[in-house]
Amino acid sequence: MVILLSQAVATGNCWPDRYTQIVVVMAQLWIETCWLIPVYGLVGAIASLPWSMGWIRLTGPRPAVYINILMTLVALAHGGLIFQGIWNQGGQEIAFTWFEAADFKLNLAFELSVINLGAVELIAGLSLLAQVFALGYLEKDWSLARFFSMMGFFEAAMSGVIMSSSLLLTYSLLEMLTLSTYLLVGFWYAQPLVVTAARDAFLTKRIGDTLLLMGVVALSALAGSLNFNDLYEWVKTEDLSPLLATLLGLALIAGPIGKCAQFPLHLWLDEAMEGPNPASILRNSVVVTCGAYVLIRLQPIVVLSPVALATLAVVGSITALGASLVALAQIDLKRTLSYSTSAYLGLVFIAVGTEWPGVALMILLTHAITKALLFMSVGSIILTTNCQDVTELGGLGPKMPATTLAYSVGALGMVGLFPLGCFWGYRLGIDFLWVDHPELVAIFLIVNLLTALNLTRVFRLVFLGEAQPKTRRAPEVAWPLALPMVTLTVFTLLVPLVMQKLYLLPPWTYVNKSALVCLILSGVIGVGIGATIPLSKALIRSMSRPVRLLQDLLAYDFYTERLYRVTVVRLVRALAIASDWFDRYVVDGLVNSVGFASLLGGESLKYSISGQSQGYLFTIVVGVSLLGLLMTWTMW
Amino acid sequence: MLSALIIIPLLGALLLGLWPGGWQGGRARQFAAIVQGVSLVWVVIVGCQFDIHVPGMQFVESFAWVEPLGLDYQLGVDGLALPLLFINSLLGLISVWASPARILRPRLYFALMLVISGAVAGAFVAQNLLLFFIFYELELIPLYLLIAIWGGTRRAYAATKFLIYTAVSGILILGSFLGVVWLGGGSSFNYDPTLTASIDLLPQLILLGALLVGFGIKIPLFPFHTWLPDAHVEASTPVSVLLAGVLLKLGTYGLVRFGLQLLPDAWEVLSPWLAGWAVVSVLYGSLAAIAQTDMKKMVAYSSIGHMGYILLAAAAATPLSVLGTVMQMVSHGLISGLLFLLVGLVYSKTGTRDMTVLRGLLNPERGLPVVGTLMILGVMASGGIPGMVGFVSELVVFRGSIVVFPVQTLLSMIGTALTAVYFLLLVNRVFFGRLAITLPTDVIQPDLILPPVSWAERWPSIVLAVVIVALGIQPSWLSRWSETASLTWRSPTVTVAQAVPDSLCEAFATPTCLP
Amino acid sequence: MTNTLSKTTAAEAHPLQDYIDRLLQGKAMLPDSEINLIEVVGILKSYGVVLDAYAVNLKYMATGQFLVLFPFFKYFNGEITPGKLLRHWWHDRINYEYAEYCMRAMMWHGGGGLDTYLDSPEFLQVCETAIQAKIRRNPILQGIHRLFPDFLPEQVRQSAYITGLGQFWTIMSEMFLTLSDRYDAGEITSIPAVVAHVKAGLVAAATVPITFAVTIGDENYDLIPESAGLTFLADTAIPYVEAVFFRGTPFLGTVSYNAQAHQIPMEQGQFAYGALYADPVPIGGSGIPPTLLMQDMRHYLPTYLHDYYRQGIRGEDDIRVQICQSFQKSMFCVTSAALQGLLPHSPETQSPDEQSANQAFLAYWMDRLMASRLAVVQLPSR
Repeated sequence: MVILLSQAVATGNCWPDRYTQIVVVMAQLWIETCWLIPVYGLVGAIASLPWSMGWIRLTGPRPAVYINILMTLVALAHGGLIFQGIWNQGGQEIAFTWFEAADFKLNLAFELSVINLGAVELIAGLSLLAQVFALGYLEKDWSLARFFSMMGFFEAAMSGVIMSSSLLLTYSLLEMLTLSTYLLVGFWYAQPLVVTAARDAFLTKRIGDTLLLMGVVALSALAGSLNFNDLYEWVKTEDLSPLLATLLGLALIAGPIGKCAQFPLHLWLDEAMEGPNPASILRNSVVVTCGAYVLIRLQPIVVLSPVALATLAVVGSITALGASLVALAQIDLKRTLSYSTSAYLGLVFIAVGTEWPGVALMILLTHAITKALLFMSVGSIILTTNCQDVTELGGLGPKMPATTLAYSVGALGMVGLFPLGCFWGYRLGIDFLWVDHPELVAIFLIVNLLTALNLTRVFRLVFLGEAQPKTRRAPEVAWPLALPMVTLTVFTLLVPLVMQKLYLLPPWTYVNKSALVCLILSGVIGVGIGATIPLSKALIRSMSRPVRLLQDLLAYDFYTERLYRVTVVRLVRALAIASDWFDRYVVDGLVNSVGFASLLGGESLKYSISGQSQGYLFTIVVGVSLLGLLMTWTMW
Repeated sequence: MLSALIIIPLLGALLLGLWPGGWQGGRARQFAAIVQGVSLVWVVIVGCQFDIHVPGMQFVESFAWVEPLGLDYQLGVDGLALPLLFINSLLGLISVWASPARILRPRLYFALMLVISGAVAGAFVAQNLLLFFIFYELELIPLYLLIAIWGGTRRAYAATKFLIYTAVSGILILGSFLGVVWLGGGSSFNYDPTLTASIDLLPQLILLGALLVGFGIKIPLFPFHTWLPDAHVEASTPVSVLLAGVLLKLGTYGLVRFGLQLLPDAWEVLSPWLAGWAVVSVLYGSLAAIAQTDMKKMVAYSSIGHMGYILLAAAAATPLSVLGTVMQMVSHGLISGLLFLLVGLVYSKTGTRDMTVLRGLLNPERGLPVVGTLMILGVMASGGIPGMVGFVSELVVFRGSIVVFPVQTLLSMIGTALTAVYFLLLVNRVFFGRLAITLPTDVIQPDLILPPVSWAERWPSIVLAVVIVALGIQPSWLSRWSETASLTWRSPTVTVAQAVPDSLCEAFATPTCLP
Repeated sequence: MTNTLSKTTAAEAHPLQDYIDRLLQGKAMLPDSEINLIEVVGILKSYGVVLDAYAVNLKYMATGQFLVLFPFFKYFNGEITPGKLLRHWWHDRINYEYAEYCMRAMMWHGGGGLDTYLDSPEFLQVCETAIQAKIRRNPILQGIHRLFPDFLPEQVRQSAYITGLGQFWTIMSEMFLTLSDRYDAGEITSIPAVVAHVKAGLVAAATVPITFAVTIGDENYDLIPESAGLTFLADTAIPYVEAVFFRGTPFLGTVSYNAQAHQIPMEQGQFAYGALYADPVPIGGSGIPPTLLMQDMRHYLPTYLHDYYRQGIRGEDDIRVQICQSFQKSMFCVTSAALQGLLPHSPETQSPDEQSANQAFLAYWMDRLMASRLAVVQLPSR
């Protein structure tokens, strides 16, 4: 590198030439050190240890916060420099051999492309905002350092997942994400519901991950390499039996299903709302994005199995519709939004299942930004009102400008209303599916309608109406919360411009007019219904029995938790108890009853405890040898 | 070279036992720690001089001892044994370090620990069947005494059970060895894989059967495992560390060395059954662990599950899976050692290991936060989270085995999910929530306070945790020793590259390929 | 209860009658013992020091940072030096966040004359003129003010609470420091003496006026004039005790905010998360704001108390929990003093009507203390 640089300096005759050369060389330097991007987060996590482990006690934990924020800034800057380099020079792949034995070679490979780096920048940016937000949200929390070291870890795993071009590295980092989700959800570990939430988050994801690991191991044996590019090549020539291909495909999509909170592994996201809000910001925006991103990387392999592709579309449709409906019946501010996350990721699954990864990426990008913004406004509401029950809120609008604007812009960006964020994702998806999959277009439109309805409903409950006791005194939040919120609000408004700058928006001539009309109409109808349905505060539970049953069904997420409890949980518990019983009474019981025969020997041996062990050692060796001789003698 | 590994601890034990004058516990511990430290350094020296490219035995020492019996003093080390020697010395040091200084009859206690280290080292380097057997038996008595004298309330029962089981194991192994030598027509008991070539398949199968049960008891595998939870529960913490970390490895080491490598033909015939047995052991151990309420018992049952992976890998017997056995042995030794140390700390501070009453030990001021943090690390390592040694060794095991036994391997992988279940339950119950060490009552009590954990108590676990993470991030530090040995110990029965897709495809085309 | 029982007997059957009697006798709810005295006086000493720092800062924030939307230096009391900045970044400072936390709890729960006054037309009028003066040269803020008419007034109300709490704590801090001085001089030798000192202090300061005025440009704006009639005891002390000692706010680290779990009561009046109820064991952990206070107090412990803490099983390890335990004891003493000061009639009264009024008054508070840590602080510390 140094040589290159000096060469560049030496050979450059005129200044502009030399300058460009230096720029190119520097860009290469940034690209070659791309592995540092995840390392920054880890450095922050490790540097926080003196505070999070309580070795520094006399002063507070804030330096750990600053270190982590600084590290995120550095990662953001480094990502930006690479992005610039890649933009000019085209994509690159960087690989290191990590482990090699026999025919088994594991690479740690990073692929740098405009999309990857864009996603990395998105993660770093949102992580930065979430961390500044957390500084305000958790200012009274003495475990700040522990929280931030987990956030650093979290961020490292996420940016690694995005850049990884090796399935093994991707799997490893997904597991890291699972672990850090567990730790972040479990941050307030003394709270009983947090305990179960952390457990369920880990175990649910772990189910998906184990299946994914099975797929990874099988794929490694089948294809030899775990680099995505090698796998894509392999897929073209491989001729697997349909059964094997199907099983492989299903195993591979299981991981993202868990990560993206898709049916039937979706419940953890609801429970994970027990965790601190700044972590929820990331979890509902970029963490699920990471899971979906992995799915997009896996899609060229999953195409081996039409069944798996169809499963993706079906799972996505069920989740999109189910979660949108469930969100309507939630009275918890955070949960109503978290279900909408599942619903949008369902749309992403549909897009991947119908082999339109571009649509998936577009939805992911726009959803991540707007959802993060919505969760920031939710955080400031919770902090101000000590409450996240929408029926106890109201009238916050005139008092909290930053929060109200953040929610409004986020909500507008979330639904397919021209021209903010998610409109473009919706539009692209509906356009592409218009001819081949009208039924999926309907699902897109229904989700849009229901989301618009729900967000309008929540807006009315929280920001409009009379102030209630808990919202009577509600001063706007302090600047560490307001600043990232306002920044993201502005950015959300600018997203369409940014997309245009990056050539992500289509020219108008290609737009399908009727699709556009349907989309905007569905959003308008949703907002219309949301704005007009009666919302009595005390209501929430309807007087009419059938409606109430439906409400409860949705409010409790179709009783999925109960379903788990009577199926999987009960099965595992029954098996565990059965094994334990069998162990105690059959295996050990048998042994003990046989053991009585030799008890005499055992009892007499007991006396050897008091001394002369050497003598007994000799006795045993001789005795055992003799016995052995005797046995084999009779044998032969 | 290698004799020193046996002699240093044994001599240390002798000195400790016979040195005139009353030593305090602290002095005895210091002395034992120095002896173990010297053997650890010695292992490192051996490792530095070990040529990783030579497939066979190195540092061979050989002289006739009891010639009429065919008992030669023959030592040697290859890539299979070297990592185990390291872990033996490391955990030997750790367990001495983790022993309380004020202990009943310290000189006898530490002397016995040293004897175990010496005997286990001897067993790993012995290249004579009878010599191996002697060391194998030699380790038995000190362990018996360690449980029987310094154990819990039911120590007599547990120790006797351990003794009887292991004695049976010894008899079977000895019988098998005798059979191998006599049927193979060998003149001595020296280890020689060519010895068995002339034995017919049926006798080979019977000999292997005896060996499998013998080592199966030691490992332990279902259904010969019930001595283990009892022994662990009654043993003190350092003894548990030794038992789980080192002594069980004698069983798996014996399985690979004397089963797979000495009786390969019979092994090949039985291997589908062995893989099936591994699955049963893995799932049974893991499921039984879920039902446990004693933390130590849970860790003990998890050992049964995790040792099953080694049987699976040994059954598959591909070069990669044999490497996997070594890696898994080391990784299990380190991780279970760490878990037992931490459970021991919890027990010594709270007086209970009952998961139905312990709560919230992660409490930052009055609980055991560092122990809790290390425990989370330990259970995650055990559950196969990447970045720690458990993941990479399990991955090598699975990747090595799936080409031969796809269905069994996939079933065993369920074990990793179950590991997550029971260990997560442990962490969630014991370390999360509000601090408590008894069931909640209506009686008003002062706020709970647990005694502090000193750095001296923490260091052994921290050292193990560091090793676990280091080997997880840089697994070649672990695999490089055994790579040559496992790749070349014999030419694989099938050319792997070819066999891979075929066997997998067959398995799924005809899903009934379970034995 | 049956109707045949008279009111007095019914009340005498109060489960916490013992404490009612103690209060009527001028004793404290906390048992009188040597150790308790050390703990209470020692902790009130360091509390006094910390409160003084909080109070000074609060009063500065209310006026010096009035309607500053990005108050980066709000904890600097107007004095910004490089050394101070570095110490601030190293987090080697008083955790003023705790003071704001108490202020917000007080404002959110409301109650008392201050709360009422902040909604009165007189206040709104002065408030509006002050706001207009402040945003005169800021068109953006003017726009926001037009769009969100309650935004800036709410911030001004918050400033009013900030200064209100600051003025309240100034008096309390001095009271606690005098207590410590009197203890050092040997004048305070028992827990009841502590209670008497606090009670006397409260009574003496009861009618000290609470006011709030800011200067914008050259103009002075009397946001809470003395004529509003707000006083120390009725308008800050009692709402403070109610909001911080009794109700509090649920800690995110121990209570679930999940609306469907219904762990938090609908009515703020039913909240029982205050200082008298809080469990000290999780202190130092996540989501327990009072940890900040305990952390601040650890730096100002008198030697005798610090030595006492060091002798505990965990020594310095759990010092914040130990501080919290002592603090809780001292707060029961302060509550005892407040209740005695607020008794409707003299405790020595012979009139049965007055006696039963006293009894009913205390019984009401004892009802609320049923679930508190009162029973635990009765136990010997070690």
